[in-house]
Amino acid sequence: MTIRLLIALVTLLGPGMVQAQETYPTRPITVVVPFPPGGIADLTARPLAPALERVLKQPVVVANKAGAAGAVGMQSVAIAKPDGYTLLIGLVSISIIPEVDALFARTPAYTRDQFVGIARLNADPPILVVGVETPWKSVKELVDDLKKRPGEVTYSSSGVYGASHVPMEMFLHAAGGLRMRHLPTTGGAPAMTAVLGGHAAMWASPPAVASPHLKAGKIRALATWGATRLAAFPDVPTMKELGHDVEYYLWAGLFAPKGVPTSVVKALRDATRQAVQDPEFRNAMEKVHTPIAHLGGDEFSAWWERDAQKLAGVIKRIGRIESK
Amino acid sequence: MVETLQNLHLGFSIALTPSVLLYAFAGCVIGTLVGMLPGVGPLAGISLLLPATFGLNATTAIVLLAGIYYGAMYGGSTTSILMRIPGEAASVMTCIDGYEMTKKGRAGPALAIAAVGSYIAGTLSVVGLMFLAPPLASFALRFGPPEYSALLILGLLVLAYMSSGSMPKALVMAALGLLLGMIGIDTMTGFFRFHYGLVELGDGIGVVPVAVGLFGISEILLTAGQPVPPAVHKPRLRELLPSRQEWRDSAAPIGRGTILGFLIGIIPGSAHIISSFVSYALERRLSKRPERFGHGAVEGVAGPESANNSATSGAFVPMLALGVPSGPIPAVMMAAMMVHGISPGPLLIKQQPELFWGFIASMYVGNVVLLILNLPLVGLFVNLLRIPYPFLYPAILAFCVLGVYAVNQSVVDIWIMTAMGALGYLLRKFDFETAPIVLGLVLAPMLEMSFRQSLAMSSGSYAIFFNRPIAATMLFVAVALMLLSLRPLISRGKDWRRSVGLEEKRALREENP
Repeated sequence: MTIRLLIALVTLLGPGMVQAQETYPTRPITVVVPFPPGGIADLTARPLAPALERVLKQPVVVANKAGAAGAVGMQSVAIAKPDGYTLLIGLVSISIIPEVDALFARTPAYTRDQFVGIARLNADPPILVVGVETPWKSVKELVDDLKKRPGEVTYSSSGVYGASHVPMEMFLHAAGGLRMRHLPTTGGAPAMTAVLGGHAAMWASPPAVASPHLKAGKIRALATWGATRLAAFPDVPTMKELGHDVEYYLWAGLFAPKGVPTSVVKALRDATRQAVQDPEFRNAMEKVHTPIAHLGGDEFSAWWERDAQKLAGVIKRIGRIESK
Repeated sequence: MVETLQNLHLGFSIALTPSVLLYAFAGCVIGTLVGMLPGVGPLAGISLLLPATFGLNATTAIVLLAGIYYGAMYGGSTTSILMRIPGEAASVMTCIDGYEMTKKGRAGPALAIAAVGSYIAGTLSVVGLMFLAPPLASFALRFGPPEYSALLILGLLVLAYMSSGSMPKALVMAALGLLLGMIGIDTMTGFFRFHYGLVELGDGIGVVPVAVGLFGISEILLTAGQPVPPAVHKPRLRELLPSRQEWRDSAAPIGRGTILGFLIGIIPGSAHIISSFVSYALERRLSKRPERFGHGAVEGVAGPESANNSATSGAFVPMLALGVPSGPIPAVMMAAMMVHGISPGPLLIKQQPELFWGFIASMYVGNVVLLILNLPLVGLFVNLLRIPYPFLYPAILAFCVLGVYAVNQSVVDIWIMTAMGALGYLLRKFDFETAPIVLGLVLAPMLEMSFRQSLAMSSGSYAIFFNRPIAATMLFVAVALMLLSLRPLISRGKDWRRSVGLEEKRALREENP
């Protein structure tokens, strides 16, 4: 009886399901950007959308859903219907926010396992930039000076537990537990402004933000957090070269809510693999100084897991910031 | 000087090409509409249109977006004056006297003065942008967190000192606004405050739903609560233009608003909403008859409307001269440039003279376009008031809900607007002014953050506020102002508010209970 019922069900539903999977996508796809327009997530999503469109033959629409440092938009995708028609462009903060929620013992806006990674699209290490009026010409000089004056030099960041706070914490820890003052701001632009105005001495800047000011000689680059040097700045050494074992990337990836059928995940992964070869997409990313660094499929999932574990450790080490 | 003129010539040769002219015009029209729609301000408008500019070239893209930005400052005054609904946040102050003028049948003059003031401020501030951008921009960079806190403290004291009506009531309202401003993520620790499980409250309560609720919705509720419906205004043609006296009264406020707005606009982080608040307070203080403010003083429209337009040009100074955005709107515009492979930075003016001078010239052109666009429309807009209330008010309510929702696509914002409408209704029944709430809400997060950032920089030492010359000067002025305001407590009868503001209001209330 049960078996017969099962067979009946399979014969009834089977073809329909197979067909639905084969023809994905049959209607427009929405890519949620959990930040306001103009940021790197938005600037990645906008040219990606037409590139995906050309592969998937369906309209791909970008929707900005900003708020609470990205938590609002990420939560909306985490609970969206897992049918492959709602996707997310997430930045490195997708791994950080749940850890911070855990730190404060509050109900998390979402958890990392609510997402399936489709692909990583770019990954740039930040650059440690110092104001032009500061004395340090190298990381070694900086470390020596910080050892002499613990807790007296200030660095700025885009926000507490943010994408530029974490790498500074990693560096200070790896360099022997150095202490600095931290000036959190509300984004990359104010953090850079604080360094340009001399209110903070340095920050871990995305290459795209630092580039025009470096060229104008208003700041100096001391090191990057990458495994290898940045193609755009071949003279800037990596932290690893200088003996500080840290590696950190500001990356953007495409995600789907968990529970999306595997065939749809595969279709999206294949489509993204093709889209990153799209000359117009490549060109657009070059223009914003954020070259494509594609990592697809299970490789991305494994990489994401390792990256997130590492960041979780850093967040726990920073701990709760108690204001005094 | 000669070089500047040559460059400007180059700029106009670009700005007057048909395609650039077309996009400047389109930007101005869209901006005016965006400004008029309650809730949707220039930031939402520019953000929505940013993707559309990816297909243009860098100059037309930036000209279009800038047109929306300053166009919105023109449009924002329209609904404020006609219906007491701030079209965008910077028009909150215009609501107060602008709407009072409408009630007295002077809607036309108020709109005309707002448009002309915006034009003068817009044009003069572009002159400032053109000649002063590089030196002013480096001055703006010296504004760090301590300077910023000192500026805000000074601003708060100035405003409290100059508020109308009952001082305790104004302070209570400002305190309420400051408390509302505490909601959201604590920037310094990452702690969520008063969010009650709503992720949407993580960024705090937005200014837009609060302003639309407190001003617009409460007005609709108050009108609906009147035993006799107010008569529909029938504007007459000769009442459309400002009188000679109104022109004379507006001239100085427009001039002061222009300078003030430009200076406030330059400082990174400050918003043009503050420029309009400060301008209003300043005009009231300088006026020979401050009791007229709040009852339809034309200066209360001319000053803030000029200031918020001038602040937009000021905001471009750090962006164009240094590649540093002074707020979220210039940040979006910088993204628009980056998409075209232009990195806004200190070398922008040198490396992209066509873009910089084309942009400057297009702003001169755009302001003329806006004046031509807005002045004839005054007649049309004023005629909106002929619509009977049973049709007008539901339509306004619908637009308020739409506009507030459109900003963040957030239903929570609509509820905030509704709650604020009810609160505004109650408060106004009890004769509380609601403007200080909006001010407190805007200033609280800025003041708290800059204050705690300063202490983070100094590792907890308050000396940082006195070691730095700009901050110390502003704090000194603030203390002096406070002592001045204490004087009437000791020697009675010297306070102008005692002799005019408060008593006047009471007297008026007794006349028409």
